[in-house]
Order: sequence, then structure tokens, then C-alpha cells
Amino acid sequence: MSEGRPDREDDRIRAAEYALGLLDEAEVRAFEARLRDDPDLRAEYAAWAEHFAGLADGADVPPPAHVWQELESGLFGSTQAGSGRSRWRYWRGWGLGAALAAMLAVLLLYLGPFGTPTVPQADLVAYIEAESGDLRVLAGYDEATGQLEVSRVGGAPEPGRSFELWLIAGDAAPVSLGVLPERERGVLSVPDALGPQMAGATLAISDEPAGGSPTGQPTGAVLAAGQVITGS
Amino acid sequence: MLARTAMGDRAAFAGLYRATSAKLFGVALRILNDRAEAEEVLQEVFVRIWHKADRYRANGLSPMTWLITVTRNLSIDRLRRLRATGVTRAGNPDEATAHMADPAPGPEAQVVAADERARIDACLDELEAARAGAVRGAYIEGLSYAELAARHEVPLNTMRTWLRRSLLKLRECLSR
Repeated sequence: MSEGRPDREDDRIRAAEYALGLLDEAEVRAFEARLRDDPDLRAEYAAWAEHFAGLADGADVPPPAHVWQELESGLFGSTQAGSGRSRWRYWRGWGLGAALAAMLAVLLLYLGPFGTPTVPQADLVAYIEAESGDLRVLAGYDEATGQLEVSRVGGAPEPGRSFELWLIAGDAAPVSLGVLPERERGVLSVPDALGPQMAGATLAISDEPAGGSPTGQPTGAVLAAGQVITGS
Repeated sequence: MLARTAMGDRAAFAGLYRATSAKLFGVALRILNDRAEAEEVLQEVFVRIWHKADRYRANGLSPMTWLITVTRNLSIDRLRRLRATGVTRAGNPDEATAHMADPAPGPEAQVVAADERARIDACLDELEAARAGAVRGAYIEGLSYAELAARHEVPLNTMRTWLRRSLLKLRECLSR
């Protein structure tokens, strides 16, 4: 860091002070305004945040079960009627936008909670999940190579059936991306023409005869779907 | 027809909680040194994640760092409120570590932990003890410049100069 340029050093210190919470309100506002437009400053802040996170990080301590139960009943109003507190009512009933839900999935994906290797860094990612949660597939798309890496982390086709993956861009009819490999992980090649349609599209999985739909359109039930969003 | 349903969101959310709650509860406990307060912060953190998961990349942080930072900031907010009302026992590192007895971090605990903790600890060790203490005091206890100056019995401007120089040295070490 020995560039010695005073403005660079000032930014470096400012970013650290922001990460430590040492700035006053006006300074925070000014810093955050600059942060939006200055990638170098964002990188500076991110570096400090990563370093300082190490200070807060100690041994894991599993929280007691009631923490989750209250969260669940608070956010979703589920199961445990009567245990919800009034302060939770405020949160109840707020839905998640599709983008938000997908982002939650990406967080999960990079944190790897499934105990299996998840999709590596990719330009675009999708978390394709059944409503029941019985079928879950992570997909990562590499724009340069057109390769779509798929990782089935839950669910398997019935004997004699196949899972087929579909790309649905806007209101267009589903286009097949191929049959998911029998193994849990595999790679599908996305045709060049479809590559530009990937971002923001929906990926869906249908239940098909072994080897895939004979018609070019889904013939069986659509089991799971997820939105394609920007990776890291 | 293909819109994601609330059930799917909840499954992902539950998965995220299972994967990260022990680490984040550890962070909140370390700062607040009070289980009941840390439990409430943990709930606040996950309510915030539920509503703002799309913000996590706004500042270029990695997911785990973002989660730790949100937890740290909400813990510090609460610590400052408690301190203002004079009811806190927190801020005593010895007491705080007494709660940290669980010796078995999960696999995901190592994502940020081992490397980053070792690095920043090693680099803080290169600073004078009091100056390293000031950096920790700001991050873990949420102390302001004025509070740090009072604790170290130096004028406010001296404290600022001190800490800023220490931060530059620290950064130099961290980027080696």
C-alpha cells in the first residue's frame, strides 16, 4: 500500500473508519454517496469489512430452538398460533419478490449448506426448486463457454422417467436445454442462440419419459422452477 | 404458473438459517455477552435477510462477510442503546469469551473464520498493544473516538491521529 498518495490513503482510512462505525451521521451519508459511484472505494471498504469480520468471528454457538420457532411464526404466521408476539405482526404477510427469493438462494448456494459441493463461480446462477422442496437443482452458467453446470441437491426421477430442463424467456414457449444427467452433477451445453436469453429467464424442470419429451414441449408435470440471476 | 412460491422461499430461508445461525449467534454473543439480547439480535438479522437479501452485493462483500457485518452492526446498535441506558454487562472480553465455550465449529465456520481471524490477529499483534486494543474496541465494542480517547486517557485529536496511523499500518500488514 505504499503508493503514498495522500488521497488514496485518506480513502483507505475513511473506508476503515466507516467499517468500524467511527464516522458521524453526516460523514456516513457522504461516504455512502461516494461508495455508490466509486468502485475503488467499494473495493477498499470490502477489503476492510472482510478483515474486520475476522475480529467478530469466534466459535460457533448454536442458538436455542425457540429463536427459529419465533422467527418462523413471526415471519410466516405458521404453526405455533399463540406463540407469536405482537411485534412480529408487522412483518407478517410480506411476500418476497422473485429477485429477492433468488438472491436468497444464491447466498445459500455460495455458502454451501447442502453438504455437497455447490456450483462454482458462474456468470449466471439459478436455484430451481419444487414447491414441496422435494426437488432442488442448482445451475451455474458460464457465458464464455456456454456451459451450464447443474447440480441436483435433492430429488430424483421416478424409475423410467427423466427430468428435462427448460428455458423460459419472457412469454416465449419453453425451449429444452436437455435432459438432466442421471448423476447428481453434470454439464449441459446451451446453444449459442439461447445464451443471450439466459439472464432473467426462468429455468423449469418437467417430468418426462426416459430420454426426454418426444414433442419438443413439456409433456409431463412441471415440477420445479427458478429464476436466472447474476452470479458473483 | 412458474412463479416461485412462498414455500420455496421459506425452504431456502430455513436452509440459510441452518447453515449460518450458529456462526452469527456466536458473533452476537461475543459482542453483547448476553444470551437473551443476542437471541433478539439474531432474529433481527434474519428478518433483515428475509427482506433485504438482494442488498448483499451492494457493497461488494462476500455473502458470509455481509452476514457477519449485518450481525455485528445490529449487535453494536443494541449495545450502544443498552450502554446509554446503563444496563449492560457487555464489553468485558473475559466474560464474553466465557460464553464461547463450544469447541466444535461447523464446517462453514471456517469459511471466513480461520484465515481472516489469524491474519488480522497477527497484524494487530504488530501494533502497540494499546493501539490494537483501540481497533478492537471500535469494532467489537462499538466505541466512538470520544469513548476511545476517554478510555486511553488521551485528547480526542490525539486518538484520531493514533488510530488512523494504526489503520494504515494494519492495512499495510494485511496486504502483505
